[in-house]
Amino acid sequence: MTEQWGFYFDAEKCIGCHACSVSCRVRNDIDADGPKWRRVIHAENGTFPDYEQVSVSISCMHCEDPPCRTVCPTGAIEKRATDGIVVVDQDKCIGCHYCAWSCPYGAPKFDDDDKMQKCHLCLGEGAGDGHGAPPKATEADGGRKPGCVENCVGDALKAGPMDELMKEVTEGAATDGVGKGNFIFESAGSTLTIETDSD
Amino acid sequence: MSGSASTDGGLRRRTFLKAGGAAAAVGLTGAGVSAVGEEATAASSETDRTTVHGNCWICRASCGQEITVEDGKAIDLTGVDGHPKASAGQGREGTLCSKGAAQLNKTYNPNRITQPHIREDGELRSASWEEAITYAAERLEEFREEHGAEKLLRYQGYPLAKHPWHNLVFKNLYGAPIKVGRKTTCHGPFSDSWAWMSGYGREWPDWKHSEYIIAWGRNVMECFRGQWEPKGVLDAKENNDATLVCIDPRYTKTAEVADKWLPIEPRTDGALALAMGHVIIEEELYDEQFVSKWSHGFEAYKAAVADKTPEWAAEITDIDADVIREIAIGFAEAAPSAVAFPWTGIAYQSNGFKNAQNIHALNGLVGNIDSPGGTRQWTSGFGLDDPHEKRGIDVPANYKDKPTPEYDDYPFQRHVRDLSHNLVPQAVEKGDIKGFVNNWSQPPKSGNTRAWFEALEEMELVITVDAFWTGVSKRADIVFPGASQLEQPFLKSGGDSSYSTKGWITGSKAAIEPIGDCKPDYQLYKALAEAMGWGEYFPWESGAEFYDSQLDAIGLSFDELAEKSYEIVSDVPYRQYEDGGFDTVNGKFNFDLDVKEAYAGVAEDLGVSTAPAWIPPDDEYFGETTNDEYPLLFTDFFVEQMSRGHCQALSQSLEAYAERFGHEDEEYRGNYLHINPRDAAARGIEDGDWVRVASADDEIELMANLWEGVRPGWVGTEHGFGAGSAHPDDAGGNSMILNKERHVEPTTGMTARNHPVEVERVGGEPQ
Repeated sequence: MTEQWGFYFDAEKCIGCHACSVSCRVRNDIDADGPKWRRVIHAENGTFPDYEQVSVSISCMHCEDPPCRTVCPTGAIEKRATDGIVVVDQDKCIGCHYCAWSCPYGAPKFDDDDKMQKCHLCLGEGAGDGHGAPPKATEADGGRKPGCVENCVGDALKAGPMDELMKEVTEGAATDGVGKGNFIFESAGSTLTIETDSD
Repeated sequence: MSGSASTDGGLRRRTFLKAGGAAAAVGLTGAGVSAVGEEATAASSETDRTTVHGNCWICRASCGQEITVEDGKAIDLTGVDGHPKASAGQGREGTLCSKGAAQLNKTYNPNRITQPHIREDGELRSASWEEAITYAAERLEEFREEHGAEKLLRYQGYPLAKHPWHNLVFKNLYGAPIKVGRKTTCHGPFSDSWAWMSGYGREWPDWKHSEYIIAWGRNVMECFRGQWEPKGVLDAKENNDATLVCIDPRYTKTAEVADKWLPIEPRTDGALALAMGHVIIEEELYDEQFVSKWSHGFEAYKAAVADKTPEWAAEITDIDADVIREIAIGFAEAAPSAVAFPWTGIAYQSNGFKNAQNIHALNGLVGNIDSPGGTRQWTSGFGLDDPHEKRGIDVPANYKDKPTPEYDDYPFQRHVRDLSHNLVPQAVEKGDIKGFVNNWSQPPKSGNTRAWFEALEEMELVITVDAFWTGVSKRADIVFPGASQLEQPFLKSGGDSSYSTKGWITGSKAAIEPIGDCKPDYQLYKALAEAMGWGEYFPWESGAEFYDSQLDAIGLSFDELAEKSYEIVSDVPYRQYEDGGFDTVNGKFNFDLDVKEAYAGVAEDLGVSTAPAWIPPDDEYFGETTNDEYPLLFTDFFVEQMSRGHCQALSQSLEAYAERFGHEDEEYRGNYLHINPRDAAARGIEDGDWVRVASADDEIELMANLWEGVRPGWVGTEHGFGAGSAHPDDAGGNSMILNKERHVEPTTGMTARNHPVEVERVGGEPQ
């Protein structure tokens, strides 16, 4: 693999506005009530007045060893050699939903056609677009940022090759370990458990 | 169209390149190689993509947009890098917030009004432009002959970029003198107090240079006027290690980002501000030089806070005395790079004027007026040309010398203004207003709602420009289908932005052709003016041509500006008052408003001091208090996903709002009543239940959202839903149904929005 792409998220800068999730749907032409490739979680703790929230924007983590790929009976899910982005070949998808059950982050989604769809880091502009798309390019190489990153008001969400993103990391930031997801989570000491949102 | 174009005969779905020229060529080479499967069908279609600029108008902030247009259709949006409103400043990336990102959903909304409509035999029917314009001109002529132009109310609303054509037709030419605007629905207690104290009606913090920010009833991270605001706060935290204090009974996203969240007892903000003043004076941390040289009424202020100890305020505000001391000292020590900034949380209170005055006084006390990181008295620092003057066209002022009603029922009517939003229905009842012209506004969601519905029915002529069927357009006699911002040229200068000491201008051409039979505003007003015999005042072919003429003043063409999206034009120094004093009646910063005749009159009527003072709710003028029957205090507010525009009409914004509160799996897309779980438990209410909110006057129904982030005893909802809103199903509760004529702040006449209520669980499914 030449490089592994992933997301970097800084909870200190996220203002919980949902520009990322709306932009994801706009870029990928998904109706408001359609599948949610990217979600913003407003994790809460405590009771009034000792109450706090942390906003977290999550999508597919493009895992090192994606459990969705492991369980897929038809080999429809691919971990791309070129950029590490996990994509689905919808022609091969039989709609069994094993991927959704196996994913710790609830990333695989289904629309009326029952074909799995999820974040492909905007390799294309719609469901199933990532499969067969050319390698993801950085802006410096003429590429375009994913929609979610492009409109992140607080500059909390970034996407890129992990080795570049790691340069942003401050001491204490955690890379997600659960599914070996390619996701860097910055926070000021908050601990967050991301609950699975299976369909 | 501005921006770069790239045409290729290859794949429809490929990485699109923002940059033109060489970079685009590189991308194209790599693009068509490996797509297979479904994409093959798209591969045969020719595509033509361009990026053009726009300016978002969903909340009137004019954030610069970069719009991807394909085959004449806008398909994607982001912000313009370095844009004064859409970015954190020079060299910073531009973005759009969730509302801005949802704008395609406005333009291409299936519920849009795309044809003119006129009322015939009691029913609205579609009509051609020619028919609608002719009919409007005839009705306006008849109205003027029968009643006089002074009986046509201009409820202007939100014309794109505050363009001058609406006023040109209805104020200058037709001669309608009365306008009701935002001072009496949004910010009067805040902006009138500020104007009288400091001389500029709408000061705004220089967020990014601040070291201590008190967001006081001000949800800056969500309800911003341009993304430069939350971006500036994040910059202040990161670069200046600024302290952010959020004073709000509700846990907003500002509270989430803040160092300290103080969920104050509602409506006691004035007491907190006085105690902070007490500490700052006691600790001798105030700006003696500013106070002695530039202020008036300090002695009265000092006397007013002399006995207002933190312990005194702690009893009233439910904020610890130690915390009050801590924030007072932190704020004063960071001055002049500190700011205490109130907004609607204060302005919505019946005692909000005095509470705002007390907060403003803190800024004067520590001398952070128009200072780096303090409040900023924003101005563009330059003017634009007057296209009429350049053509030798003398624009009449036919609104002058028209008789207008003089009322004296309320204190504000005797001294400040005769008419406020809530009093319009009464003026209709008295026969002083008989018609109404409106542009993209929805007054029935802004106060005294039921009376407004009746007033609109009663009026003899209602003309509106809108895109959706709302409480106004449904009751109108003539509805013109407004073009959305993507379909019109835009020009605006300022002002408040991420460029702390610069004046700027931003502009854009129409990104796409108007949808259906919609027309850009300029064409609409030009057609109407021509039908009424005023064609000579609209000699330009288009709005863009008018803007081009305006821009001569700064040596720019509209084409050039649209290509760039924005231009930094002028230098605007800090502390502008040092050159000629404050723009107030006495040239000073006024702690005491005894010098302002209008306010002195109100204060005398109300029996209150002209200096800062603590005025609690009193069941007479300053707000109704809760009791055994109505034990909860209800108010309304915004969240990031819902602004005062037409967000309630946009499915993407409604979805984001439902996601925000974790109710996206419900069918319901109305607003939520936020209630503390303790209050809910006492009433047998569970999360997602359908509840009725009843005041002594009226009731609404909506879905309950149980939330530890709201203060027990206090409930509230997002504004702009339910009956009369732009929501396609009128889903949710219109909070202003509970609001009646008497619910006004007595100094400014602004709609006051704190109502004692009881909440009960009701059966049935959400609508």
